[in-house]
Amino acid sequence: MSALTKSLHPDEKVKAGKLGSTMMTAGAVIAAAFLIISLWLGASHGDHWKRFLYAYVSGWAYIASLAIGMLWLVLLHHLTRSRWSTVVRRIAEAMTGAFPIIWIAGLGFVLPVAFGYTDLYYWAHPDAHNAALNPAIVHKAGWLSPTAWALRYVIYGVIYSGMSYYFAKTSRKQDETGDPALSTQMRVVSGPAMILYAFTTCLMAMDVLMSMAPTWYSTIYGVVYWGSGEVGAFSALALIVLWIQRNGRLTHSITEEHYHDIGKWIFSFTFFYAYVQFSQFMLQWYGNMPEETNWWKYRMFGEWQWVSIAILACFWAFPFVFLMSRWTKRIVPSLVFFAVWQLVFHWLDMYWNVMPSYDWTVAQHAGVAVNLGPLRGNIALHHVGFSPLDITVWLFLCGVFLLGTGRGLSGNLIPVKDPTLGLSLAHEQL
Amino acid sequence: MSTHEETPVNVPAEGELYGYLAEYDTPGELVEAARKVRDAGYTDFDCYSPFPVHGIDPAMGIKRTILPLIIFAGGFTGAASGILLQWYCNAHAWTWNISGKPTWSIPANIPIAYELTILLSVFCSFFGMWALNRLPQVWHPLFRQDRFLRVTDDGFFLAIEARDRRFDTVKTKELLHGAGSIALEPVYLDPDPRSRQMPKWITAFIVASTAFALIPFAIAAKARNSHSSEPHIHIFPDMDFQPKFKSDTEADMFPDGRANRGEIPGTVARGWLEQDETFWHGLDNGQWTTGFPKADGNGQPFAVDDKLVKRGQNRFNIYCSPCHGYDGHGQGMIPERVKSLGGVWQARNLVEAPTADGKGGVVVQMPNGQLFNTISNGFNTMQGYAAQIPAGDRWAIVAYVRALERAQNASRDDLPPGSNF
Repeated sequence: MSALTKSLHPDEKVKAGKLGSTMMTAGAVIAAAFLIISLWLGASHGDHWKRFLYAYVSGWAYIASLAIGMLWLVLLHHLTRSRWSTVVRRIAEAMTGAFPIIWIAGLGFVLPVAFGYTDLYYWAHPDAHNAALNPAIVHKAGWLSPTAWALRYVIYGVIYSGMSYYFAKTSRKQDETGDPALSTQMRVVSGPAMILYAFTTCLMAMDVLMSMAPTWYSTIYGVVYWGSGEVGAFSALALIVLWIQRNGRLTHSITEEHYHDIGKWIFSFTFFYAYVQFSQFMLQWYGNMPEETNWWKYRMFGEWQWVSIAILACFWAFPFVFLMSRWTKRIVPSLVFFAVWQLVFHWLDMYWNVMPSYDWTVAQHAGVAVNLGPLRGNIALHHVGFSPLDITVWLFLCGVFLLGTGRGLSGNLIPVKDPTLGLSLAHEQL
Repeated sequence: MSTHEETPVNVPAEGELYGYLAEYDTPGELVEAARKVRDAGYTDFDCYSPFPVHGIDPAMGIKRTILPLIIFAGGFTGAASGILLQWYCNAHAWTWNISGKPTWSIPANIPIAYELTILLSVFCSFFGMWALNRLPQVWHPLFRQDRFLRVTDDGFFLAIEARDRRFDTVKTKELLHGAGSIALEPVYLDPDPRSRQMPKWITAFIVASTAFALIPFAIAAKARNSHSSEPHIHIFPDMDFQPKFKSDTEADMFPDGRANRGEIPGTVARGWLEQDETFWHGLDNGQWTTGFPKADGNGQPFAVDDKLVKRGQNRFNIYCSPCHGYDGHGQGMIPERVKSLGGVWQARNLVEAPTADGKGGVVVQMPNGQLFNTISNGFNTMQGYAAQIPAGDRWAIVAYVRALERAQNASRDDLPPGSNF
């Protein structure tokens, strides 16, 4: 018996039992309660559901990024034959199992746009296609049309759900047969799947978030969204793992060594996010081209600058400095603190991506009032304008995410017959 | 399990005993053996493997390295010195107005600070690792064991040194054997003390290469403090001296002794006919034209319209505005820079209106043809732009300058009737 592999502890509880249904119930209750509150607040907000839908896109981008982030971990695990992550892979698979429900929940903002709601995405507004007002949008009309956009939304959902379904199902099949060839098969599939994943994620971020500012250009936007999402996804993973252990499962299998690795990912992506976000910012700031700097102008000045500074200080600087140490990642309460912290500021980042587009400018053109859309006009007229809706819609969608994740927490919580399980159980940091 | 080789034939039992070398079959067994040796109280022992083995450090009882702190210090120094360097160069010692950009700006400074952070972190990590491991070490007693050569391939070894206070020729051997070694052999020091010193050729090489590396600095120092009448060294003489004539030089091979060859009488080079004297030279019957050309260089009609003025504005903003300014008042970015450096200079005011007795307003009073000629061939310190701007675009600039003059000297009467300004 080598010290580099271990077998499962004889007393280990690997069956989910009622954990999944507990999480689903909790998710359903949270979702229902906050949906009712949000609908009430949205109806009484007096802007024809505009704030509600903006908060919806922000919250939806948040929960989608968690599942997208964990799908990446699953793909990376197979692609690189990782071994530390074998013990948490089933939980990551459960989080990716939320894709169908997340995509159904997303219909809450997709259907209005597809059926003629014009105040959420400016490109869906008739004034956006006035060539005299918006020469920079007109040529994008083919891509940014409600029908094509909604169709792409469905395609992204099918791709994500299909990928997550394939890997979760094959992994569970191995629980029964113990066939090591299934690992090889998943490894072969994970390569092309990773490429498909990268394109899907970039296009999805572009369609759902970036097109909120339809005149803007950025080729790295999808990567920034993904990096921010990974911070949230690994933070959520740490919390779900802890919750499962607090309920008496996997207490011997997942050790501080595995928490340490999850913490490393939170740390890496905290830095990665800042790196790509700054790359995006600095090139556009230096290039000083109006179609690029416009997006930043409303975030660098006026009320939004304080949100930008908060993201810089709290989503990057503070966790970056403190997660650098080995011990903040290995001591579980400390890791939990940073996981919760980053989940909150990941929300702020999504909010910061979406909400500055909320204030639309109306002007006189050729004698009639026309809508110039977001990020136009006087900076001082653009407000953070925080509404309780921004939080309640987000919490509703977090409930949806728990509902979807709980669905996957059934049967074995660990891939019991995975050939790398022994290595993963005995995993120690260098 | 293979047989134990107590005294291998290839290493004579000579010199002082260095310790015992045990080989283990897998990295897992090496970790287990290390744990047993640690628990037996040994401290002077080490493990050797072809790759880093997870968990070996706690198994050996090694305390955590201080390398991360050294790297952090290096990274922090890099970030701080990057910021300081840029502040000193750009904002303090040599402030330079580059297109009106601020001399001190945080976003622009981050890439350099970031790169220096990485550079110094990596240096501290690499050289710190060498220093903490007391590298380079060119000599080690284990190198004498043939078996040990496999440590870079598939061998996993543990060696207990004889200087450990718990070392005992019998008990230590039993401990290593009991931990499951597949081979166990004593290691002896070479009796020749010279074998433990740095080989002379390495010392000589380090001294020589250091001296060699100083030569360029010595040459540079000499050149800075002496004068020489020698021609400089031509590293690529066939590039420096090419077998061709340069323009306006002497050439023996032609009867007139000139390298320049004139045009053959009665011919015009392709594209240089330039027959239309208005379009190409701004002339109308030998006088500066006051209008615009009737036709472009290809005989097509030349239209003075909105499109031409827009084109002129675009070219003006690129080529003319750096000196003359976007509004033509002669206060562009370059005069601004002169001002920021303490000088006084401004470019010609293109839109200045003449006084009632006709003084001043040179450009306003200039005929179109002369303005075109000035753009083409330059005036005083202004260079000619004929080589950079095609003739059609130069006319577009003339049209735009005329529009600019109107706009800058506009009066209330120029507004269309019914305007409520």
